[in-house]
Amino acid sequence: MITRILIGGEGGQGVQAIAKVLIHAAHASGKHVAHLPNFGVEQRGGVSLAFVQIGDEEISYPKFREADVAVLLSHRSVERSKMHIGTNTKIIFDNSIIGQKELLGFRTEKIAIPASHLAKEKLIPRVFNMIVLGALTEEIGGIKEKELKKATLNYFNDKIKKKHELKHFNLAALEMGEKTIKGLRK
Amino acid sequence: MEPRMPKCYKKESKPSSFCPGCGHSLTLKNLGFVMDEMKIADSTVFATDIGCSLLAWDFFDVDTVQAHHGRVTAMAAGLKRALPKSVVLAYMGDGGGYAIGLHHLIGAARRNDPITVILVNNTLYAMTGGQMAPTTFKGENTSSSPEGAFADEEPLLGPEFLRPVCHKEAFLARTSVDNPFELKKYLKEAIETQKKGNFSFVEVLSYCPVNWKTDARGTMDFMDHLKEIYKIGVIE
Amino acid sequence: MFSHAEGKIELLTGNEIVVRAALAAGANAFFGYPITPTTEILQGWAQEAKDNKGLIYLQTEDEPAAGFGLLGAALGGKKAWTTTAGAGHLLMQDAVVVAEAMRIPFVAYIGQRGGPSTGTVIYSQQELSIARDGGNGEGFRMVLGPSNLQELYELMIKSFDIAWRYRLPVFVLGDGYLSKMTGEVELKKSATTCPAKPIVQNGKKVVNLRNCYSLEDEIATVIKEELKDFGKIAKEIEMSEALNCSDAEVVVFAWGTVGSAAREAVRKLRKEGKKVGLFRPITLKPFGATRAKQAVRKAHSILIAESAFGKFGRLVTESLFGLEGLKVERLYKPAEGILSEEIEDRLRGMLDGA
Repeated sequence: MITRILIGGEGGQGVQAIAKVLIHAAHASGKHVAHLPNFGVEQRGGVSLAFVQIGDEEISYPKFREADVAVLLSHRSVERSKMHIGTNTKIIFDNSIIGQKELLGFRTEKIAIPASHLAKEKLIPRVFNMIVLGALTEEIGGIKEKELKKATLNYFNDKIKKKHELKHFNLAALEMGEKTIKGLRK
Repeated sequence: MEPRMPKCYKKESKPSSFCPGCGHSLTLKNLGFVMDEMKIADSTVFATDIGCSLLAWDFFDVDTVQAHHGRVTAMAAGLKRALPKSVVLAYMGDGGGYAIGLHHLIGAARRNDPITVILVNNTLYAMTGGQMAPTTFKGENTSSSPEGAFADEEPLLGPEFLRPVCHKEAFLARTSVDNPFELKKYLKEAIETQKKGNFSFVEVLSYCPVNWKTDARGTMDFMDHLKEIYKIGVIE
Repeated sequence: MFSHAEGKIELLTGNEIVVRAALAAGANAFFGYPITPTTEILQGWAQEAKDNKGLIYLQTEDEPAAGFGLLGAALGGKKAWTTTAGAGHLLMQDAVVVAEAMRIPFVAYIGQRGGPSTGTVIYSQQELSIARDGGNGEGFRMVLGPSNLQELYELMIKSFDIAWRYRLPVFVLGDGYLSKMTGEVELKKSATTCPAKPIVQNGKKVVNLRNCYSLEDEIATVIKEELKDFGKIAKEIEMSEALNCSDAEVVVFAWGTVGSAAREAVRKLRKEGKKVGLFRPITLKPFGATRAKQAVRKAHSILIAESAFGKFGRLVTESLFGLEGLKVERLYKPAEGILSEEIEDRLRGMLDGA
């Protein structure tokens, strides 16, 4: 089985970082993985999409039609992701950025994670994407917690070296994402 | 007394394909003497460009390669990086060097690539039939500027133009084919500069009686006029 | 699940894999100019060269300078290479024709992007024609088209072997997806490729190389010799993948990453017992026409899928010329990816319609 994940947001939001940490954690957990970033010519300010596939079998093509999970983090990314959202696609979205109304057109399961709000209130704004990652990993399952933490610290290694507290904030963000989504299930 | 021909001449290719009265033959002859004198013929790679310079592909019994479009400078940059102990000479015309390949000269000069660029300036594209070049002077009639070239533009002064982006130890000079003593002196100094690890550049004012449409006397007069526009000497 | 102990499997981007492959193949000189989607290759080599003084690295003033710098270094005995894309690829052809004319080894990885002009930085298969025939001569170059990251690694290594063994330019024609995607690749500890020897300053005899001729019969003689030689080399290096073609009623023709999408579609339909096959040339130059013909022996129809408008399609139809009654359908999506689902849908339609 292959889980197909589409992550959409604005350039600079850390969309590709979510994808990169996710595939490294999944790879270390024994999964086959692939990640394809998709963005325009601009370095910042465009819509950024990440096509991620995680599976027990080899992945042959980096893009797919319908996502199993779509993570939506900005208004514009909703429009850009539309063609990859089908009736079986589960949507995880940041409801502190995107309103419920914007997603009315999708008749599918939606999970609201106020990642941006939580990051600002409880942690620091920049770790918002790791809250999303914590929630996403919990939702798809099969990724070892130890590997997720290791991949996160690896990815932010240089930044953590300069600013040590980032280690705590990133790990706390993962946990917060995981707890939030678990809380919604109850 | 100097021998009649340089030892590094490739005899099978003589007489060369250059037109009678062409300045290339004189430039190359003196370059040959310099290679003999410095005993570098075996350790030199001579790289030629597009235009009349390409007729020199078998002029010397010296490793010779070819490029086009003024890219011989870039090829020389690659050659030198691969063969740091060899002498690398990039030989080109004013069209290749100053029009289509000018940014390669700027690149090599800025990087202080230890190569020697020899640029033959006859104020026009000779092989294609005498069209206007960046070196065509005000009022000079060419086949592509029948009313006189560059009414409002100054001709490009190559070494002067490159000087500001060059390393202080780089050697830049202009000389002419009618002064073999100075030509050899500058070529030698340029190659010595390369050996010390710096960029060197010699522009040679050269004859093109075919395209200038001059007789022997007219060619001398043309050259005298050129020297008024293009200052002879080392460019500091 | 696979075992990590089987080989050295790493998670890398295509661009990272290209650098690793070049190093494994013994490359020691790189000349390049930044352009998306291949810039990380230049940066990657710059990092390698920072720690290894045996590696030559130069960021040049433009793509022709990168190409000609490469030629100079290759003449001097270095295993030199470059990378570019899109409009940069077009400029690079300037140096490639010189490599053809003077038989100088030349390796370039191309990350195809959308065109014409700046187009997009993302993806296309539109650079096939210039890679194959982008010069003002007969196109004495080899073009390899990897379909996934593992093949990218292996074909990059092979490109150095071909270039130096036969003294030819070789393009590895990747694309933006392949360059930018991250996935698994099994790296080799070492690879044996043909060693680089200096062409000039070779310690044996003086070399006068030229790319200009005065007479038409003079150049014609040289070209004829080259054509003969090229034909011989072509036979030695031609590669293709023919999957389930022996009894296939419908065969899909695809290359590069689209080949991977097509493979997935064919495998899926085969599980349902549908008689479909895939023919994927791995060398786009030389193009294996004989094998292509063999692949469609039992087929009533073929589907040509490519992310361009018929650049590949024309090669395919030319190679199948003379086969009567073969129906040709086309899935042309210039500068846009082609999903395996799209190929699957079209194949289903073709099977039903028969």
